[in-house]
Amino acid sequence: MQILAIDTALGAASACVLMQGQAEPVAGETLLMERGHAEALLPLVDRVMARVEGGFDALSRIAVTIGPGSFTGIRVGLSAARAIGLACAVPVVGVSVLASLAAPLFAENETSVAVAVVDARHGNIYFQPFAPGGRALSPPRLSSLRDAVRWIGAGPFRMAGPGARALAAEAQNFGLRADVVGALSAPEIAFVARLGLISDPETALPRPLYLKPPDARPQDDGRIARV
Amino acid sequence: MDVLGIETTCDETAAAVVRMRPEGGGDILSNEISSQVAEHAAYGGVVPEIAARAHLEVIDRLIARALDAAGTTLRRLDAIAAAAGPGLVGGVIVGLTTAKALALAARKPFIAVNHLEAHALTARLTDGVNFPYLLLLVSGGHTQLVAVNGVGDYSRLGTTLDDAVGEAFDKVAKMLGLPYPGGPHVEREALKGNPTRFDLPRPMLGRPAADFSLSGLKTAVRIEAERVAPLTATDVGDLCASFQAAIIDLIVDRARAGLRAFRERKGHPEAFVVAGGVASNAAIRRAIARFAGEAGLRLVIPPPNLCTDNGAMIAWTGIERLRLGLIDDMTFAARPRWPLDTNAEPVQHGKA
Ligand SMILES: Nc1ncnc2c1ncn2[C@@H]1O[C@H](COP(=O)(O)OP(=O)(O)OP(=O)(O)O)[C@@H](O)[C@H]1O
Repeated sequence: MQILAIDTALGAASACVLMQGQAEPVAGETLLMERGHAEALLPLVDRVMARVEGGFDALSRIAVTIGPGSFTGIRVGLSAARAIGLACAVPVVGVSVLASLAAPLFAENETSVAVAVVDARHGNIYFQPFAPGGRALSPPRLSSLRDAVRWIGAGPFRMAGPGARALAAEAQNFGLRADVVGALSAPEIAFVARLGLISDPETALPRPLYLKPPDARPQDDGRIARV
Repeated sequence: MDVLGIETTCDETAAAVVRMRPEGGGDILSNEISSQVAEHAAYGGVVPEIAARAHLEVIDRLIARALDAAGTTLRRLDAIAAAAGPGLVGGVIVGLTTAKALALAARKPFIAVNHLEAHALTARLTDGVNFPYLLLLVSGGHTQLVAVNGVGDYSRLGTTLDDAVGEAFDKVAKMLGLPYPGGPHVEREALKGNPTRFDLPRPMLGRPAADFSLSGLKTAVRIEAERVAPLTATDVGDLCASFQAAIIDLIVDRARAGLRAFRERKGHPEAFVVAGGVASNAAIRRAIARFAGEAGLRLVIPPPNLCTDNGAMIAWTGIERLRLGLIDDMTFAARPRWPLDTNAEPVQHGKA
């Protein structure tokens, strides 16, 4: 099985192709960016696929990060992945950004809890703690930094992701041990591919994980009274 | 020549396959649409983030359905087209990224389509109209008179300086407590009402430039409504009828100004084409037909499902562009603003 992994949910546009059973991707590229994912992604996929023997026909699965992260970024990745899945008639699996950020941490022989953290703006974060070995200790959550510290328990912690520094600082304020060790801006794309390979297409659906409702209020103003 | 067209610029997700006819015009092999109207109804207008989420929810299944219904496959297509604007950028990105990825993985040409150009060229899909022609585009987002000279060649003759006509219908409906989108409801209420009870202004009437202005009319409706409030059913009918009568006078007068401007530049138009959701209003259609008859113009109004947002018009525009070798690459960015006539002055606050 050969998988194409795509990520545009956070501060990068990335893609790589990984063959099952091999340690490292056949081809891959990551461009760090805060904006412009929509324009960057498909030329990048084009360059990556040009280095893969057999091109798109040689793919047997697509993996894509589903969030949490930038709403637009999530949609760029999912739109592209699902379209490639449709064109190549192969399954598409959704991979959590938080699991992808934490994966390199529990790949090592460690005993501390791994926490993946993504900035959700306005003093809030998306986060998820994982036990050594990789079992999730809670579903992905959205909360303030302070509530997150209450939630994750006693530590010690190793943290990764674009909200890791803020959460580690908050944890240290409460006298907890927290080290920032993983990727800071975006998941390592090879880990998205690895998680994609072990995901079940029946359950790991390529559907967005926004964790936040759309910002909208019903409006009734301006209506004139009727009898 | 078969092209897939994808539309996600506003609150409809749509995908269609269109085949070019050798003798001109096209055959719509499939035309799938998923409307989000219900999801936005509570907000009295389209909420961009809700729209973008809803597009992503359905887009790939809708495309698969459009291919199935057309009895074709991606491999057999000649190109893939998507509306790249103007419109709500979050939704546009979903359709555009999907189309680019399909084209890349299936190794097909990709074509980025201007949504307004698609409205403008629909009459060539349905009726094989020749260039040049006069276009009146009246929708929820746009109100323009345009000389359609050729593919990619447009001169704007007039535009609204504030609200679009469909938007004015929607705002009047909202103030009268009618459901969203308001156009069809206002039309229905107007049938029961007296169009002469309220003496509403006809802004811009008689002006030589073919521009529109609607905010004054909308305000006048509000003032009259507040004056007679609380509103009875009769009041609502009369307000709707009086409003619609004013809109009709305006549209006909502005079309006359547009025709004059067209003749000065291009001579006699091959046709007068009306497009956009407002063109499904029967009273407006009748008035336009009368005007076209008097002016000796061939009138073409595409059927209602091709006047509002749809995938077939995007696919057809893809065909028109592909035929001329106009294809785009994977870097094409969504264009929230994308005027048809790039030489026309932008209008402040106007819905172009
Ligand atoms: N019978 C009718 N009478 C008047 N207006 C109508 C009628 N039916 C629909 N409309 C109006 O047409 C508009 C919808 O048209 P359409 O779908 O073409 O436009 P849009 O998607 O809002 O804008 P655009 O195509 O410019 O992006 C709405 O404003 C609606 O109220």
